[in-house]
Amino acid sequence: MTRREFLAILAAGTAGAGISRAQDLGGMASRGIKPQPRGKPSGLPFHAHFTDIAAKAGLHAPVIYGPPDRMDYILESMGCGVAFLDYDNDGWLDIFLLSGTRREGPVDGATNRLYKNNRDGTFTDVTAKAGLIRQGWACGVTVGDYNNDGFDDLFITAWPQNILYRNNGDGTFTDVTKTAGLLHPGNRWGTGCTWVDYDRDGRLDLFVSNYVVFDFDKIPPTGKDPRCNFKGVPVNCGPRGLVPERPMLYHNNGDGTFTDVTERSGVGAVAPGYGLTAIAADFDGDGWQEIYVACDSTPSLLFQNRGDGTFAERGMQSGLAVNEDGNEQAGMGIAVGDFNLDGQMDVLKTHFTEDTVALYRNAGRLVFDDVTLRAGLGVETRYVSWGDGMFDLDNDGLPDLFWVTGSVFPEVEQKHPEFAHKTPRVLFRNLGGGRFEELLDAAGPAVAEPHSSRGVAFGDFDNDGDLDILIMNINEPPSLLRNDVSGDARWLKVKLVGTRSNTSAIGAVVTAVYGGRRQAQPVLAASGYLSANDRRLHFGLGEAATADLEIAWPNGTREQVKGVQADQLVTVKEGAGVISRERFKR
Amino acid sequence: MIRRVAISLLIAASMCAAQTAQPTVEAHFGRATQLMQEHSYEAAAAEFEQAVTASPADPRVQFQYAVCLLALGRNDEARTHFEQARKLSGESRYITYYLGRLDLLSNDYTSAIQRLSSVADDPPAPDTAFHLGVAYISSGDLAAGTKWLERAAKLLPRDYRVHYRLARAYSSAGREKDADREYQLYTQLRDAHKNTEKDVRDCAGALQSGPPSAAREMCHRVYDPNDPEKLTLLGQLFGDAGAFEESLDPLKRAVQLDPKSFDAWHNLGLTYFRLQQYAQARAPLETAVALRPEFYGSAVLLGATLYMLGEDEAALPVLERAHRLNPSDAQTTEVLEKLRASHQKR
Repeated sequence: MTRREFLAILAAGTAGAGISRAQDLGGMASRGIKPQPRGKPSGLPFHAHFTDIAAKAGLHAPVIYGPPDRMDYILESMGCGVAFLDYDNDGWLDIFLLSGTRREGPVDGATNRLYKNNRDGTFTDVTAKAGLIRQGWACGVTVGDYNNDGFDDLFITAWPQNILYRNNGDGTFTDVTKTAGLLHPGNRWGTGCTWVDYDRDGRLDLFVSNYVVFDFDKIPPTGKDPRCNFKGVPVNCGPRGLVPERPMLYHNNGDGTFTDVTERSGVGAVAPGYGLTAIAADFDGDGWQEIYVACDSTPSLLFQNRGDGTFAERGMQSGLAVNEDGNEQAGMGIAVGDFNLDGQMDVLKTHFTEDTVALYRNAGRLVFDDVTLRAGLGVETRYVSWGDGMFDLDNDGLPDLFWVTGSVFPEVEQKHPEFAHKTPRVLFRNLGGGRFEELLDAAGPAVAEPHSSRGVAFGDFDNDGDLDILIMNINEPPSLLRNDVSGDARWLKVKLVGTRSNTSAIGAVVTAVYGGRRQAQPVLAASGYLSANDRRLHFGLGEAATADLEIAWPNGTREQVKGVQADQLVTVKEGAGVISRERFKR
Repeated sequence: MIRRVAISLLIAASMCAAQTAQPTVEAHFGRATQLMQEHSYEAAAAEFEQAVTASPADPRVQFQYAVCLLALGRNDEARTHFEQARKLSGESRYITYYLGRLDLLSNDYTSAIQRLSSVADDPPAPDTAFHLGVAYISSGDLAAGTKWLERAAKLLPRDYRVHYRLARAYSSAGREKDADREYQLYTQLRDAHKNTEKDVRDCAGALQSGPPSAAREMCHRVYDPNDPEKLTLLGQLFGDAGAFEESLDPLKRAVQLDPKSFDAWHNLGLTYFRLQQYAQARAPLETAVALRPEFYGSAVLLGATLYMLGEDEAALPVLERAHRLNPSDAQTTEVLEKLRASHQKR
């Protein structure tokens, strides 16, 4: 066949119109859509202002993750999570940063890092003192007190082996992976992880999602497999085409050990997929924890808790598995919150470039509606999106949406500048009525700064009554976005301490009623992309001076606290009511 | 022999982008249509824009430009040009359909329902009921939305999107049994779609790497005697590999199943042409031209076919039209000049 004849046929027929563009889009699922037109700006002021103070705060060390200029393997492209936690119980948020390494060999200074909050806007690296120096391919982190001793422990997913660190309560940690029974045979790429008391025995169990079967020696690097290309540019292979994995569930035996209950619980009965972020929350309000897993280019999973130690996978029936047209998306990060103030927990899931994020409204009875386009989020499809949050960033009483972005194919921008490697953060302010508006430059310079980011954690590190943001940037130091909220909007923070429930109160739901509004927030052990947030719940109250709190504890009991004054942190102990109140100095 | 050489030049010319003559509205329009057919929407929009600039009062150009803009997600511009087309040509159910879809995309459910309902009894596109159902569901009217999605599922029984939406509607209504049935159907169709994608890749790979006879078994997996799209696709895959004889059977079956499929008719005509069976090529190409008169590729093939059949008088106006659609094609111009000269002599 001559070239001209070939061209003739190409020009003649388009019978292949229905065939997927998966090859053209690399190994990721994407709708290949353009952004919807932007409406006129609301012109409303936004009172949150973000400044990246990471360098000033002492967070200088870059987070090493693969080579500095390329990503030859999918492992090098996926990055890792971050956490806000208070490991020493001093009431100030510390920072835990995961890290990768390089295939070529160890890199000086590449380690997971723990930074202690100096309570003056700066941090001190206490990694060595804490016994947390470790170099490898860390991915996700979940924070919770699995042994109920009052101190937060750390579980880290990693390739090829996950790690459990017990907090000794004296500023140090001990790797107890082996004695806890969490060493698994062979290499596995653990990604999402979350503590969850699935059987309401007052002890935190452990859920782990796994991504793909990975081996540097068996997966072709960039350029070695012509099928692995994005927009005609050779890129790293996967996840499509690689062997998918199943998630795992470990039961906490209460003696420092865990038992693998993956099969017994039904978690192991699902078809293998490309699991990433996992979160646990009571989505149907029945007092039992569900587990939701964002899957990358396979249907996402929702494990409904049957209340008898087993789960039924209900992703498709719930509407959380695929987008509104029934297509898989490249699920990366998950945020949970109550954006429409109906007292039910909604979900935001992030995806690949040329696709939207997905905003799911909880309609009750474990049915979710995809309201992404209706909410106005279809205007942003440019970036690969990762860690996300659904939080009230300006304290106006309405949860906003924030996520970080960054390409997985740095090679592509040379040929296609529109697919830059480093891309800005995305912020949508909540306008009320189920609608959002993207703020491109109205929330301070740190939002527009381009990085190749992955994990993100939200928390008030400077205890000034607003939410700051910690971000992992690949092969760069992290970003610490200090939020300085102006105006008179009020706020309330709620810290829960379990007694019959797990001490971290992971799995609890607090519903705040303020100014005619009603907002539910869950206490999560993991969120965003493979990350963990400040567990103190933050409610912006707008003009309201007080709020009533309804607390659903993880063990099923309920408690009410009426007329809580704004602008303070209240600590509520299970069965004992408010045990402390703290007003922050601004 | 001379005739054969001329024809091969003609066909080749239909694929080349020579830059000689000044493009006319028809030329821009023809090129844009061809680019749309190839899913090169950005390039098509640029051609349409020039066509619209040159002839802003042509409703056909305004309409097609608007369709192209919609495909590009440039919805506001698409709306402007649909409105312009309506001003020029009056009310049209096609324009109403597209405006309804644009309303849906801009979350104006009331208007979307009003427009799509008005054309739903005589739907301009098979997915009219689907979009109407989605509009109702989005507006909060679950019962009406479900009714239209049920109708859409009958009209588009193989479209997994429809069954997924319908399953969601049943779930929202608490109709678990119905929902489970639709989820099952959706899953089957989605899996079948994925399998088809894989089969097509495997077939294309086998055809590229070896003789068609060796790929036959692999490609047979794409064969579905009841699915005109898959049949057309299979015909095209064989055609791409030069296995024209193999192309014929699926394409003939495809046009039987879906007599309105431009792709099937065009590819069938092209295949006969490639097999030099000009008498058989004529009818499929005439049908293709009737279905898409603005598509240069079909027009030039039909002209060439008629020319090969010795029907120069019939070929002349067809090639004239093809030339108007793509005047930069020097070889077509050359053949046309010969035909015109011959015509004048008579």
